[in-house]
Amino acid sequence: MQERPGDDCMKRIYIQEEYCIGCRLCEIYCQVKHSKSKKIIKAFKEELVDIMPRVLVEEIGYNSFAIQCRHCADAPCVEACISGAMQKNKNTGVVTCDEDKCVGCWSCIMVCPYGVIRRGLSSGKIASKCDLCVDEEIPVCVKNCPNEALKFIEKDEDKKDMMRSKNEKKK
Amino acid sequence: MALKLTQSEFETERDENKCISCQVCVRQCSNDVHEYDSDQDTIYSDNLKCVGCHRCESLCPTGALKIKERDSQFKTNYNWSPDHLRNIYRQADSGGVLLTGMGSDKPYTVYWDRILFNASQVTNPSIDPLREPMEIKTFIGRKPDKLEFKKNKNLKNKSIKLKTKMYPQLELSTPIMFSAMSYGSISFNACKSLASAASQFGTYYNTGEGGLHKDLYKYAENTIVQVASGRYGVDVDYLNKGSAVEIKIGQGAKPGIGGHLPGEKVTEDISNTRMIPEGTDALSPAPHHDIYSIEDLAQLIYALKEATDWSKPVGVKVSAVHNIAPIASGIVRAGADFVTIDGLRGGTGAAPQTIRDNVGIPIELAVAAVDERLREEGIRHKASIIAAGSIRSSSDAIKAIALGADAVYIGTAALIAMGCHLCQKCYTGKCNWGIATQDPYLTKRLNPDIGTRRLLNLLRGWSLEIKEMLGGAGINAIESLKGNREHLRGIGLSDRELTVLGIKHAGEAW
Amino acid sequence: MRRKNNIPKKDEMADYIIIGNSAAGLAAADSIRKLDKAGKVMVLTEENYPNYSKPMITYFLAKTVSLDKVYFKDKKFYRDNNIDIRLNTRVKSVDTAGMFLTVESGRIFYFKKLLIASGGKPIVPRIRVIGTGTIESSRSGKDKTFDFMDGTNYRDIGGIFTLTTLDDAIKIRDYIEKNKIKEISILGGGLIGLKAAEAFLETGFDINIIELANRILAATFDQQASGIIEKKIKSKGSNIYKNNTIEEIYITDGKISGYRLKDSEKRGCRLLISAVGVSPDTGFISGGKLKINRGIVVDDYMRTSGKNIYAAGDVVEGPDMLRGEKRNIAIWPLAVRQGGTAGINMAGGNEKYSGGFFMNSVEILQIPSISMGLTNAEEGEDKNIEVFKDFNPKKNMYKKVVMKENRIIGVILVGNIERAGIYAGLIRNQIDISSVKENISKEDFGIIHLPADYKKHLVVGEGIEV
Repeated sequence: MQERPGDDCMKRIYIQEEYCIGCRLCEIYCQVKHSKSKKIIKAFKEELVDIMPRVLVEEIGYNSFAIQCRHCADAPCVEACISGAMQKNKNTGVVTCDEDKCVGCWSCIMVCPYGVIRRGLSSGKIASKCDLCVDEEIPVCVKNCPNEALKFIEKDEDKKDMMRSKNEKKK
Repeated sequence: MALKLTQSEFETERDENKCISCQVCVRQCSNDVHEYDSDQDTIYSDNLKCVGCHRCESLCPTGALKIKERDSQFKTNYNWSPDHLRNIYRQADSGGVLLTGMGSDKPYTVYWDRILFNASQVTNPSIDPLREPMEIKTFIGRKPDKLEFKKNKNLKNKSIKLKTKMYPQLELSTPIMFSAMSYGSISFNACKSLASAASQFGTYYNTGEGGLHKDLYKYAENTIVQVASGRYGVDVDYLNKGSAVEIKIGQGAKPGIGGHLPGEKVTEDISNTRMIPEGTDALSPAPHHDIYSIEDLAQLIYALKEATDWSKPVGVKVSAVHNIAPIASGIVRAGADFVTIDGLRGGTGAAPQTIRDNVGIPIELAVAAVDERLREEGIRHKASIIAAGSIRSSSDAIKAIALGADAVYIGTAALIAMGCHLCQKCYTGKCNWGIATQDPYLTKRLNPDIGTRRLLNLLRGWSLEIKEMLGGAGINAIESLKGNREHLRGIGLSDRELTVLGIKHAGEAW
Repeated sequence: MRRKNNIPKKDEMADYIIIGNSAAGLAAADSIRKLDKAGKVMVLTEENYPNYSKPMITYFLAKTVSLDKVYFKDKKFYRDNNIDIRLNTRVKSVDTAGMFLTVESGRIFYFKKLLIASGGKPIVPRIRVIGTGTIESSRSGKDKTFDFMDGTNYRDIGGIFTLTTLDDAIKIRDYIEKNKIKEISILGGGLIGLKAAEAFLETGFDINIIELANRILAATFDQQASGIIEKKIKSKGSNIYKNNTIEEIYITDGKISGYRLKDSEKRGCRLLISAVGVSPDTGFISGGKLKINRGIVVDDYMRTSGKNIYAAGDVVEGPDMLRGEKRNIAIWPLAVRQGGTAGINMAGGNEKYSGGFFMNSVEILQIPSISMGLTNAEEGEDKNIEVFKDFNPKKNMYKKVVMKENRIIGVILVGNIERAGIYAGLIRNQIDISSVKENISKEDFGIIHLPADYKKHLVVGEGIEV
């Protein structure tokens, strides 16, 4: 997948729980982005059964928040993957699932502490894992949140992790 | 089951070709208009509950929804309009006072729309605000009777110093402030947005009668605190935190009566801020029970000045009523540093509909009358006049200033900037935009970051427009426009109206 | 294979030698390279393949995956990381004092640091053989007759296989094709046996599973969970023999033709897979040179009792955080984690292995299931144990959560495995869930149901601002 321009940065998606209004537009736009047609009406009317959102909104009472793959520094899913389908990009740190290699063993689901990987029911493979929309300027869930509850920013801890691994490469 | 005589006024029109049954509308409507049927995989809308707030239409990702007036028609009757019929049906159902929210929507003449502003042509060149200094900074407070200077006798140092001691002033970077809206009538996030925008732009916001929440203390330098008839939240900290104190006698939307916050909306947080028991109705009495005459008002004004060490302006807010001119004169003589006049079309969180629509006079006329009277009596400089009550645009603001105001308060305009669609159902506490509600599910919808940003944009946009209009009229300081009726002309107004406003008719010249 | 020119032909030398080319071994190689770009890294494997994922064998068997897809590391992995890989090199012995090892061919390899990641060997039970005629040996070229089959000679009998290497899978596939096999018997109803069964059931074979315990997947599933799977397998017309084992094997013309069960039933059989279990492959470490129980004993830093010698993966007996003692837990994610830790420590780092616990994911006939931790505890066994169960056999769904002193120690999920990892996180971090216990029963159990301070810790660390 083509990388986001200028993408040595380690931006990740963060959520401000107090502003999530539980509308689930993030889920909808995620589905559109990962559909074939990329057009919302066509995708929902014709393709819906095949596309799962990679972001998940959890809700109790009036509390809600959206959660997706954290692209962890020490990703347990990459460790557990028996086929090498789950890989962490050395530059961007983005964790992606190569659907060709995935065999649907569900080991990643077993170890992901956030529970943000889900199985594709019709494909028998991992269908739903956030890929940080690497070919977009900002991930579509962040862009389309009507209350700006999702933020796409770089945090100092990520930077430190990134610099550490870059320095290790240089040695 | 009793027969339903009241019909809904709005309906949602759904384009089935565009609807993807994503259910965002179902989740977002606090009035439960939309419902998802999983068997049919469609959404049904119960239009009887729609209040026309446009929340679903705004959030629909495919633009499938449109809000329309339901337009169920009665036999044409110029006397018994549909509004009158509906009011009687509602009253016959409830037997109580009919409540409503926001400002009066009745077709009284909007004088702003009948007043035109001037521009320079040949005799007095216009000024380009982008190339030359344009001063819209405004000071609110009492101005001295005259200025005395001290000249330095030293021949080498020719500096001049001001001898007269100035009264405390509020310095505004623009002649626009945020009107009094209490925490309780609006949500905390809304208050925070107003406070933050005022602070960043260099103007002021008003706490209204809801007290000052401690999380807003950091905006103290941009806060005007209000002392209303219920005295909610008024203690020594409150008075000291504010940059100015405003005694609220009346409010444009409901002249003559006090505020009302239903017990359901008095949450723990509001109870702490207003210093009243949780769950009790917050009813402000009609008069201040220690102000029964103008002398009493003077006493309170001086008591507050004493309590705040004479360090901040103390003013009075009144509704625009018939005898507003002598009333304002009395207030100024009582020692007020500023007088806020709130006109007929001012907004509110809850008011009896019949008072909102029938009591008071439009602010345009009130400002003109008050400015004229104070000038006649030679006391115009002793207090600033702040005009409030439906200032809808920068042109309304500039006209208000030309009619005699020092600055304007915006309330409804600020809420609209944050998302309000004027459905007038504030009193139900179900505001879908998270503004006029305390329901935690709904208040989340107003992200203060976004609210602040939008308010700042509004202030910035209006300020730039004011500068453009001033420049166009060949004026480079807002001070020169204050009360300068020559820059206004009426259009389509009667002689009487023109006299009250103190302006000529369009076409007349010097 | 690369050869250094300036080292004597016989002996070789490397800074780091890794025995074993699978999960643990390559994770270690990766880690070493992160810290040490220059040191010489050598990987020795007895097999003939660059690298492949052992768990993928059953997928290969089921034809879901082709031969070129069984590799879990990229083809250029060795080259890109400057790793010297020696195939077909079985280690014969290790001299822990002299810091060298000897391979089958006699060549000697000196090392500064050694990692033993040799994995496990299949256990083949000793079973009486009754046959007519002699058996052709596939190895020595001589005729052989014997009365018992065990781990040393099972390969000599046609149609009997274990399933732990890629070669095994290839041989089985070839044998099936050549001999037109339609029915397969599997001795052992544990994970390997069931994973093999999954492969065959999906491709239309009839299978017979013979299990010693009173249920399949006895080590990880309780009665209800294994009952669901059993029912599904049987619905396909396959047989499951519980509380049973093979007592005699019958051979005809050098190939297996049938067997007799403990309960005296006899069956015809032309292909038998022995999937009773694996044990750590430590045969090449002799004479008490390293502390070995069932597996090589290691400490929290993956160090063995020998200086500069580390061990990781299926061969190891390492910290089991739930049982509080050392155990051999042979699963892929732990092998990777242990290998990575060992690698860091070998290259001069100081990384502690936080311990592991058993977990497994297997899908049989479209019923996914996940088990983790200590799953076989029942309520009342211990006064501190609480068990939540939601058994829905009609829908083939089951959820069991075992809690001890308000901390989750075991989970079984059958049918709905959504978000199972959240439980893994709770087990690993030993979170006290007393405040939110009633949420466990919710179908949409998620992060929002977790105790507030864990939720904050979990998400403030790497993601959500709460």
